[in-house]
Amino acid sequence: MNPKSPKFQHQQKQETTEQAAALQTTHEFASPEEILRRDAAQVEVPAALAHRVAESIAKEPKPSRSWWRKLFSRGEANG
Amino acid sequence: MKEAQATGPAGDDPVSAGHGPTWASPEFGAIYEEHSRQIFYLALRFLGDPAQAEDATHDVFLKAYRKLGEFRGDSAMRTWLYRIAINHCKNLRQTWYQRNMVSNADDSIWESAVSRTETPLRVLEIKELGERIQKTLDALPEEYRLLLLLVADEQLSYEEMAALTGQSSDAIRGKLHRARKSFVLQFQKPA
Repeated sequence: MNPKSPKFQHQQKQETTEQAAALQTTHEFASPEEILRRDAAQVEVPAALAHRVAESIAKEPKPSRSWWRKLFSRGEANG
Repeated sequence: MKEAQATGPAGDDPVSAGHGPTWASPEFGAIYEEHSRQIFYLALRFLGDPAQAEDATHDVFLKAYRKLGEFRGDSAMRTWLYRIAINHCKNLRQTWYQRNMVSNADDSIWESAVSRTETPLRVLEIKELGERIQKTLDALPEEYRLLLLLVADEQLSYEEMAALTGQSSDAIRGKLHRARKSFVLQFQKPA
C-alpha cells in the first residue's frame, strides 16, 4: 500500500489511537484516603536524605537514654 | 511540579551506590527507617515542594533526636513524630505566607460545596496522579489538607488525630466529612 495514500494514513491513525486507548487504564478510588494511600506508596523518600540525617545526628551529643529504658521495658512487658 | 525521586544513577559515593547510612545510633536509624516515608509524604503534600519536604523531614528527625529524652512513650512514636512534623511544616508555611502575603481562599466556599462523594475518583494515568493530588490539596484549606493526609495513614486512630490537631474526635469526624467532599469536588474539576 502506498504510504502517502489517504487510506493508509487513516489506517495508521486508527492503529495509533487504538494503541493509546489500550495503554490507558482507568483506575478507580473509592475515597480520597484511598487515592492518597496509593500516592504515598508511589512516593520514594530521597536516598540521600537518610545519609544527611545520619550525618547531622553524628554531630549531635548523645540524647538521654531514659527513653530507651522505657521503650524496652514496655516492649518486654507487652511481649 | 517535579515529583520526588528515589535515587539517581549509581556512582562512587555511598548514596548513589545504594549503601545505607552509618547511624551513630542504630536505634534511631531503625526509627528513621520505619517512619521516614510517612513523615516525608506528609511534608511533601502539605508543603507542595519536594526540596522543602526533604529539608523539613531532615529537620523533623533532627529535632526528634534532640528531644528523645522528652519522649515519654504516652503516645506512639509515629504520633509523636507527626506532632513535630505538623508544627514544623505549619511554621514553614506561615513564614512563607507572611513573606509572600498570599491570602487563603475563602473557606466558606468549601463549607457550602456540594459534590457527589459516592462517585468513584477516576484516574487514567497513575504517573500523573501525584501532580493532580498536589493541585487538589493545594486548593483546599490547610486544615482539610492536614486531616486528609493524617487519615490516609492507617496507623492513626481518630483519637490520635484529635490529639494531634487539638480537637475532639467528633469534630474530626465532621471536618473529615467536609474535607472529603471538598477533595472530591476539586479532584473532579477538569484540568
